[in-house]
Amino acid sequence: MDDEHSTPVVEMVDIVKAFPGVRALDSVSFSVKQGEIHALLGKNGAGKSTLMHVLTGLYTPDSGTIRIRGEIHENLNTAKAKQAGIALVAQHAKFVPGLSIAENVYSGMLPLRWGGFVDWKKMYRDAQEKLGQFDIDIDVSRLMEDTTVAERQMIEIARALFADASVIILDEPTAPLPKHDVAKLFEFVRRQRARGASFIYISHYLEEIFEVADHVTVMRNGVVAGVSPVKDITQPELIRLISGANVERYKRESGKIGNPVLSINGLNRPGAYTDVQLTLNAGEVVGLTGLEGSGPGELARGLFGLEPLGSGSVMLNDAPYIDGSPISSLKQGLAYLPRDRHGLGIVAIRSVRDNVSLSVLDRLEQSLGLIDSAKEKRLVSDFINVLGIKTPSMETAVENLSGGNQQKVVVAKLAATEPKVLILDEPTQGVDVQAKVELLRIVDQLSQRGVAVAVVSDELSELMDICDRIVVFYRGRIIREFRKNREPITTALLLAAIEGETLETTNASV
Amino acid sequence: MQASKHIPTLLDHLIWVILVGVFIFFVFQSPVFLTSTNITNIFTAAAVLGILVVGQTFVLISGNFDLSSESTLGVCALFGMYLIVPATPPYWGGGVLINPYLSIAVIIITGSLFGYINGLLITVGKMNNFIVTLAMLLILRGLMMAFTQGKPISGLNFPPAEIYFWLGHESLFEIPDLIKIPVGVVATGLIFIIGHIVLNHRRFGRELYAIGGNKQAAIASGIDADKRVRQAYIISGGLAALAGWMLAGRVGSIQVNLGDGYIFTVMAAAVIGGISLQGGRGTMLGALGGVLLLSTIDRGLNLMSVSVFWVKVIQGLIIMFAMFIDAQRVRYRKPQAKAAAVAASPTNPT
Repeated sequence: MDDEHSTPVVEMVDIVKAFPGVRALDSVSFSVKQGEIHALLGKNGAGKSTLMHVLTGLYTPDSGTIRIRGEIHENLNTAKAKQAGIALVAQHAKFVPGLSIAENVYSGMLPLRWGGFVDWKKMYRDAQEKLGQFDIDIDVSRLMEDTTVAERQMIEIARALFADASVIILDEPTAPLPKHDVAKLFEFVRRQRARGASFIYISHYLEEIFEVADHVTVMRNGVVAGVSPVKDITQPELIRLISGANVERYKRESGKIGNPVLSINGLNRPGAYTDVQLTLNAGEVVGLTGLEGSGPGELARGLFGLEPLGSGSVMLNDAPYIDGSPISSLKQGLAYLPRDRHGLGIVAIRSVRDNVSLSVLDRLEQSLGLIDSAKEKRLVSDFINVLGIKTPSMETAVENLSGGNQQKVVVAKLAATEPKVLILDEPTQGVDVQAKVELLRIVDQLSQRGVAVAVVSDELSELMDICDRIVVFYRGRIIREFRKNREPITTALLLAAIEGETLETTNASV
Repeated sequence: MQASKHIPTLLDHLIWVILVGVFIFFVFQSPVFLTSTNITNIFTAAAVLGILVVGQTFVLISGNFDLSSESTLGVCALFGMYLIVPATPPYWGGGVLINPYLSIAVIIITGSLFGYINGLLITVGKMNNFIVTLAMLLILRGLMMAFTQGKPISGLNFPPAEIYFWLGHESLFEIPDLIKIPVGVVATGLIFIIGHIVLNHRRFGRELYAIGGNKQAAIASGIDADKRVRQAYIISGGLAALAGWMLAGRVGSIQVNLGDGYIFTVMAAAVIGGISLQGGRGTMLGALGGVLLLSTIDRGLNLMSVSVFWVKVIQGLIIMFAMFIDAQRVRYRKPQAKAAAVAASPTNPT
């Protein structure tokens, strides 16, 4: 980084923000220099969102000063913050899907001709040229809804840069992105940095910080736990700063593997997977991985009846498996933890109690079809204790819990059905480091009780920590299977398989 | 800071505060407000409305609307009477002269059937619930007019119809000029209690809340959402028929516009009582509060001889006020509860 670029574009000094009963920000200072990518880390509830809400003018701080490009801003509101060049790029950028890219880029300031008609030609030409300046090579007459999430994020960043943004906040931009698009986005962000743009980068993925950020600020419990250039810090140090404790990765010891529970034989679904042979055994944890869309996620949703399953033979406990709806899947003892927690996992506005008992209400019925509320409360409070769900009470609405605790509520709901097979689709997505470890421990405990567990994930280190077997999909086919007790599994081996290298090609190239 | 903490609780129980306030206001405005006759009148008016609101509450909690319930009420009241009374003037019935008990059973089944049709179109036909029930509202009202050619059907002075009038007209217990407990009021009270139990203590009600809160998550939890929604519509239709039977007993002679415009009051009562139009939120007790409030205001304005035009204006304002309260609930619930949850959860062990 050049010295001329080292003036801070944003300087927040001694920011205090209290809510009833909680000091969300306790004298927090945070600054971003011109031309740097500054990572902001912390667990859910550590205060990073509150700090960003203060910067974007959504919250008014109780005290403290905010300086943007050297100018002190008091009484910052969202409009003023925008004017001062604070731009937020959310995970899912806000665009009008049915309009063209050009129209979206120009929304609110469409070039006009005489008589107030839109000058379409000029708009398309200018939009193409402007995006070209930011190395976005894309046909601007395409509809926004046909673009990928990564393209949308880049367009949004470019749009903020046209408007002369001081700093661009990227809030977990990579969570919804497939792996290869993450690389594309990083490349783009780095190029804009080289031109002097500044970024605040919020993410749960620590690997990304080392890949893309220059500086890092870690928050914990409403205070700054540490600030450092990225090159001077290691991942374990970062984890310690985030959690406030030495968090070990959760390593699962392989337990006793029992009889086959779910046997899949020659299962086909056009466009999703081909000739799948897979057996899940009692007490075993099997990882399913591959590029986005290569099969494991589709297989999980197909088995649970959210998508068609296709043709082939599936046996559950030696009986033919009846597919087609979550109702029949749960009845046969196959439970699924969805990737989309908010869409499919929780009923956010209802209480922890309502959510946990939702799938087992039939078992709680007593005479006259009334729910046995004593039994229900016992069940729910048992799960709250065993899984360590942090909630003020079982009547608290789930939307008020942190991401990790929401996920535990979903796990509790599934575990309550006493499944024989449990399929977890990206179980640790969007939860903090501590909660990740706890979730993996819960998975381990379930497997020890004889549940056959499958984990669909592209977090390779996690899969290596907890799985007995890792099955790799490539373009809908199972391409490799790694057994922990037979061979050492490494990230490199897994990555090679994920990219499509078969055993034969590996051997041939050696 | 401290006061703001109680705002969500206050908003949730605001209905009872307002009810007491409004009641006291009318006591001072009209000397006859606080008489047993008037109180009985309030409850009697609340009885028909209450039954419709119980049915509507089930549908609203599932995240749907049933706009057709006022027409279902009208059609069923009319059809029941039609089956009982002679075809000759002044009755203008069907001349079928069936047993009134049978006729009551027939209309309850008919009302439930209309609800089932609504439910089928919405869940199997994947049609928009608002428009489907709006269309049903028009269809049933139109059928009612076509069927009678606009003539009222009367059961007055026709002895067998007495049984049909029992629910809306008779009292369980009466000391003249002192106390009167109409059958209808007791029936509605029972229906509210049963409604409450079904909603909170039966699997059906609990699943309905989940469906209204997040339909996709409910389905992924093994709930047959479509079946539950159909059942909610069946209940709404059946209860609308029951309300029709009750109203028939009160008026004696059924005009083709019976129940016309009722749906606005039903929706207003539900929303004022805290039933969310987005689904998934609200209680039977709250709905009851909404019903009592609207009946009290209606009766009070009546006693104060407020012009019927202004009554309309005031009703409109009440609906707007209800929506305002609903918006405040959404606004205050989230950040407050969130802060409380954050404060209450023990943070990481260090």
